[in-house]
Amino acid sequence: MASLGASSSSAPARAEVLALFRSLLRTARKFTDYNIREYTKRRTVDAFRHNQNLSEPSSVSSAYSEGKAQLEIAQRQAVVYQLYAPKIKSVMDLKTHH
Amino acid sequence: MAARSALLKYLRVQVQAVPQNPSSGSPLFLSTFNAIRRRFFSEEVRGSFLDKSEVADRVINVVKNFQKVDPAKVTPSAHFQNDLGLDSLDTVEIVMALEEEFGFEIPDNEADKINCINLAVDFIASHPQAK
Repeated sequence: MASLGASSSSAPARAEVLALFRSLLRTARKFTDYNIREYTKRRTVDAFRHNQNLSEPSSVSSAYSEGKAQLEIAQRQAVVYQLYAPKIKSVMDLKTHH
Repeated sequence: MAARSALLKYLRVQVQAVPQNPSSGSPLFLSTFNAIRRRFFSEEVRGSFLDKSEVADRVINVVKNFQKVDPAKVTPSAHFQNDLGLDSLDTVEIVMALEEEFGFEIPDNEADKINCINLAVDFIASHPQAK
């Protein structure tokens, strides 16, 4: 792979993209609210599916930096939402009680 | 001869002194040591290894429940990409689902290596934190 070890301005390596995907999914799990948790997860998967066939290095790297920015937002919001956790759980949370 | 008996006496004293040590040693030290030992080696912290066949069953169940997988194709030795037709993004999702099922976090470098059911079962069965 030519992009391995490339600088941050060029297209990210495959492993970096997968690491970003995993970080987004890990952050999604931290939301206390069921709806936000599921939305973040779904939105992450949809976005990566939508962009999986990008071949132009410039569009790959712009999608990657967009994802990084979204990850930072999600991480901040997960902390904020933890401070104001809903008192009433979603029905979906009650069902999957374990 | 005198030197020998003196030496023997000296040795005997030494030998007797050794078993005395734990009882005459400070009980405070002993109890704290035991408390520390209990805390660091307790079952809950050390975790226990899960039975391999149980792990295999649960892993197969998780993979079967993944929406893109045809449950009929899932075998104990199935490869995610070659046998189940999944790609790298799906593999990441499956490993995340396994983390949720077994209640522990798989580090990225280990997660990257898991690409078939066998490897997943081996890793989880050898991980003390898996529940």
